Amino acid sequence: MPRGRPSSALRRRLLLLGLPAAVLAGAATQSVRVGADAPDRWWSPGEGRVFPATLDYTNDHGTIRTLVVDGPIETKGHPFFEPIGTNGRACVTCHQPADGMSLSARTARERWDATGGKDPLFAAIDGSNCPTLPQGERASHSLLLERGLLRIERPWPVRSFNGKPVKPDFRIEVVRDPNGCNSGPGRGPEAGNISVYRRPRPVANLKYLLAVGFPFDPKQGYALPLDPDDGKPQSGNLMADNRAGNLRLQMEDAAASHLQLMGKLTPQQIDRIRDFELRIYAAQQESVQGGALDTLGAEGGPVKLRDSQPGALGSIGTPVWSEFAAWDRISPADAARLTPEQLAFRQSVARGARVFRDRTFLIFDSAGINSRMGFGNPVRNSCVFCHNMTQMGNDVAPGQVDLGTTTLPFADPWDDLPLFRVTCLGEPHPHYGRVILTYDPGFALTSGKCADVGKITLQSMRGLAARAPYFSNGLAKDLRAVVDYYERRYNIGYTEQEKQDLVNLMSVL
Amino acid sequence: MKSAATLLALLAPLSAHAAETGALVRFVSCPVYRDADSGKKSGCWLADDPATGLRWDVSHSPYKPDVGMGVLVEGRVSAEAPTACGAPVLEPVRTSRLDTPCVRHVLPAEGYPGRKFKLPPRNIQPLSVARPVPPGPYSERTFVTYFEFDRDFLVYQYDDFIIDNAVTWLRAAKPKKLIITGYAATQPETVTGRKLAERPQVAQQRADAMAETLSRLLPGLPIETRAKLAAQPTDHPDADGIPGQSQRRAEIRAVF
Repeated sequence: MPRGRPSSALRRRLLLLGLPAAVLAGAATQSVRVGADAPDRWWSPGEGRVFPATLDYTNDHGTIRTLVVDGPIETKGHPFFEPIGTNGRACVTCHQPADGMSLSARTARERWDATGGKDPLFAAIDGSNCPTLPQGERASHSLLLERGLLRIERPWPVRSFNGKPVKPDFRIEVVRDPNGCNSGPGRGPEAGNISVYRRPRPVANLKYLLAVGFPFDPKQGYALPLDPDDGKPQSGNLMADNRAGNLRLQMEDAAASHLQLMGKLTPQQIDRIRDFELRIYAAQQESVQGGALDTLGAEGGPVKLRDSQPGALGSIGTPVWSEFAAWDRISPADAARLTPEQLAFRQSVARGARVFRDRTFLIFDSAGINSRMGFGNPVRNSCVFCHNMTQMGNDVAPGQVDLGTTTLPFADPWDDLPLFRVTCLGEPHPHYGRVILTYDPGFALTSGKCADVGKITLQSMRGLAARAPYFSNGLAKDLRAVVDYYERRYNIGYTEQEKQDLVNLMSVL
Repeated sequence: MKSAATLLALLAPLSAHAAETGALVRFVSCPVYRDADSGKKSGCWLADDPATGLRWDVSHSPYKPDVGMGVLVEGRVSAEAPTACGAPVLEPVRTSRLDTPCVRHVLPAEGYPGRKFKLPPRNIQPLSVARPVPPGPYSERTFVTYFEFDRDFLVYQYDDFIIDNAVTWLRAAKPKKLIITGYAATQPETVTGRKLAERPQVAQQRADAMAETLSRLLPGLPIETRAKLAAQPTDHPDADGIPGQSQRRAEIRAVF
């Protein structure tokens, strides 16, 4: 076990060797065998393994499960798993099953240690801080190794958005360029590109990220844009900066950049990748502290995701994270079947779901929430205000919101990231004013609007336990740091119990 | 459309002396947020009329203020008791964010509960809910959308509701084209000692914004846009009897 802790199978055996109460507890905590006989954690491109219908991997919080509808899938020859570009990578390189179909910083470090930095993951193009740095040195890959960040190069200036010409209403200058990718020869805004650093987003549960709940984007003040391929409204929830509105565009973007594919994906490759991406679900299946997440009435794990309709707004239907509502009312008889620790953890998860939905605080100065929508600045609400989609916790509306995670003064003062000075040429930003200091302008690099600086698309909250660190730039090293960021940003006043309940909730999603 | 006399009556300026139910109140101020807590979106928005010193509860506006920016308040005095937020209530009411900065004032709840959030009457159903097909016969018809002062931004749970209904009708009626006319209230008016007039270009911006939205909802339908300045008030029901709101509009005319 690379993570230095017992497998869930071993933990289960230890449990079963305990006291009678623990034996009874096994019945209440085990749904199916999880985590046993898992294949190697790392899926290398072109291995030709079979991707099982159900696949479990352990993590610090328990076990993540991927589930492929109508699986298993032969990966040999499959364009998601084959190195179809020129740098030896495949889609799976950065979308690993053990990491909830994303990539954790720890996995990146393990891969560095296992290969001496030779794995295609560390390709100079974006697996290093900048291709101009000495590629054999660990320090040249520090952003990937420490915070799980890949370099994303965006064209500048933005010329079109949603098929319409765009002229940015802001100027961008480089204040600091610690990695040389925004100021060297051919690099940086003056050379027609901007490099930012972002976490890979999970490729799983995508029917939810593609779902459209309502016909309007209230944050932008228009009806939803139409998919150029099928003419249907687009969800706007796929990418951090919303630069690709459908899976084909996302694939083509990723193939050309991350895989360094010199030609184009064929229609057949696109169809096969899309087919796989729409069939795979991922969620935490078992908790180290709480046991199986689909027992005693709870509905954790990917089966519920597979079987539910996407796009539902929790506030008018099934409340967000009600998958764990049954643990709010565990009967004495059932409680007796759990260890005290399991019972306490499950009750904490259920409380965490309520805190997530009901514990309100003042949200202020967050574009996408407090402007330009008419909610007011400030507005009192809870986590579920934005994380409002049933079963997933992403935004039913296109989720471009500025939490401050990439922009000063709220972002941490990291000197290993490039820092940009954005100057609004028209109206000032509604909350930052005319001049903004940011590590990543986010959605503004797609829309060309100064009002969108700092907005990052909300993502799925599933499989969090498997894919630290969090936020688009890896700002939060663990789940507690996520809660701490919100506490600091909005001065919420969570109690220690509420913080732990939220952490426990996030650990089982 | 009502007569000019009726419109004049609607427009009659009202001061604090006329704070009777239904009276029109209009002023510019800095908004105050009262952090009442009866759950989500329950906080109170207040604004003091500098001319009278009266504080009003403007929380019913579909577009809420920014505590750091000036606000144009337009509303009618309501009979609702001032118990929720600690001030007489304007309802219907509109608040428009102005570009003038304000010192931020956030008051504690001070025992006022605010209002437990409930969906406003103008809210749209999810796309998963089928829209009933409006019965024919279909002939030329105009739909009207409304905006904040000097803005072209679609107002959530107001314009989207109007447009959703319009699109449902337009899909059934299949007009030959749409003519969208954006209006701007460009004639200066003095409010709270400040001359207010919308920018002329916002008329076209409103038409363009509506055209963009409708081109997405009704792809392929020809759309023409026009702009008209010096907008006059109307008594269209979706303006809720607020003359200033009725001026800041875009009209979507279906032509057969």
